[in-house]
Amino acid sequence: MADALTLSRPKTVEVGSVQISDVSKTFRVEGRTVHALDDVSLAIASGEFISIVGPSGCGKSTLLRFLAGLDGPDSGRIAVDGEVIDRPSLKRGIVFQDHRLLPWFSVEKNIALSLHSLAGSEAEKRERVQYLIDLVGLSGFEKALPHELSGGMSQRAAIARGLAPRPPLLLLDEPLGALDSLTRSYLQDELLAIWEREKSTVVMVTHDVEEAIYLSDRVVVMEPRPGRIAKIFEVSGKRPRHRDDPDFVTIRREITDLLAHRRD
Amino acid sequence: MTTSTLNRPQLIWRALVLPAALVVLWSLLDAFGALNGDIIVSPLQVLKTSYEGFADGSIPGATIATLLRALVGWTIGASIGLAFGVLIGLSGVARGLFDPSIASLRQIALFAWIPLLSAWFGNGEVMKITLIALGAFFPMALGAQAGCQNVPAPFREVGRVLELDRRATLTKIVFPAAIPSILAGLELSLNIAWLGTFGAEYLIGTGYINGMGDGLGAYLAAAREYARMDQVLLGVLFLALIGVALDRLVIGFSRRLIPWRMP
Ligand SMILES: Nc1ncnc2c1ncn2[C@@H]1O[C@H](COP(=O)(O)OP(=O)(O)O)[C@@H](O)[C@H]1O
Ligand SMILES: [Mg+2]
Repeated sequence: MADALTLSRPKTVEVGSVQISDVSKTFRVEGRTVHALDDVSLAIASGEFISIVGPSGCGKSTLLRFLAGLDGPDSGRIAVDGEVIDRPSLKRGIVFQDHRLLPWFSVEKNIALSLHSLAGSEAEKRERVQYLIDLVGLSGFEKALPHELSGGMSQRAAIARGLAPRPPLLLLDEPLGALDSLTRSYLQDELLAIWEREKSTVVMVTHDVEEAIYLSDRVVVMEPRPGRIAKIFEVSGKRPRHRDDPDFVTIRREITDLLAHRRD
Repeated sequence: MTTSTLNRPQLIWRALVLPAALVVLWSLLDAFGALNGDIIVSPLQVLKTSYEGFADGSIPGATIATLLRALVGWTIGASIGLAFGVLIGLSGVARGLFDPSIASLRQIALFAWIPLLSAWFGNGEVMKITLIALGAFFPMALGAQAGCQNVPAPFREVGRVLELDRRATLTKIVFPAAIPSILAGLELSLNIAWLGTFGAEYLIGTGYINGMGDGLGAYLAAAREYARMDQVLLGVLFLALIGVALDRLVIGFSRRLIPWRMP
């Protein structure tokens, strides 16, 4: 597909590196204390593709919300490019687990909203929105309202909204979870293409170990109660990777074993 | 068959079954001489009275006067209510200043204002409009406040991550999210305004002194005074019909304004 990126941004300095140091967070839930994150540390290099896997409740979404700047840790420090995060920013795009399209706006307007606060002409923005609608396969649904879309279509619109401002750091919370396997593998490849083209840093939460290995430079495995990092797997091997490569199979076995083990 | 599979005309016919049955029953009772003319008159008599009422212009005149009064009072009350509700819903300072007072005043039954208002404004038009506006004010203010205050947190967060400024947050997130609640307030405020209009006309003033200009409420008060059961029934019928029509109008308008569904 032709690159129709028009909202240009100079790409001279490396941006989107993340430093997470000793981050902890507890929630009070019905009188009990939930250790959502316990002493989590992780450094992510600029341009890295990181996946986080782990059973539900291990703090994956919480960590992503911190990176987005929607919430902060009780203790510890989270910085992007050396700057402590204290508020949300268009430089850190997030695609929520629940797509969060605004029900009163069409697909088109939902995506355009992410460009509202950016410089650029209306024509440029319109072109960018259309490019993304085509990219996620929603052509013909520009004017559709969110309640008229299937779960998978909503998720794709949300991905388009997340990508539109071209954030140097892209945070994805189970973005492909609601999709059928065909659309899913198509969008995995599109995600890779965008990542390579934009040279952005990607942190993606997923349930799908194969997806994590297929896409990422490193796979972070988390465990719950308290939420922390169990192990980090380096994935070597040039892309596009093949799911039946011996290396691929080995690492998948290791991760699924670890997840199965930690579940008890 | 469920209601949703019926089309509009079918639904309307179905809604008319009960009223029609009542009229038939009423006519039968009358035919068998079971009606005491002092309490319930015959359907024919009501029909005749309504013909006379239309012929001399008293019914349409009173109806227009009542409608006008209701709409003026409602417009004033709902507009001020909307402004207040939005202000209180958006600003913590304004909420602290006004919310307790409004919450207390709201507890006063609408017609309990009559002695106070008539002491201030007399028994004329100003007083009646004020009463109607007051009735419309509270539900509208409450609806607008609730709508602006209870924007779902996930949507607010979307506004934050997209770095929307205050203006865009209001126009693209807060107000759209508040519209259903605002419209509910609008509907309720019209209901109350309609009730208040009748109350104002019926209870305030000195009867049917200005003729049809005093509206359906005064028409009814006069009818009761002279024990004209035919006129009483006719007046009630008209109040009900117009009330329903107004309600439908606002509901139809609401549906048109919000084509979306909340998730
Ligand atoms: N706002 C919150 N209030 C209370 N508890 C929360 C909140 N957010 C997350 N939690 C709790 O923190 C834990 C981690 O949640 P989350 O980060 O959503 O996990 P994951 O995304 O890995 O499934 C869970 O036990 C969850 O119930
Ligand atoms: Mg989650």
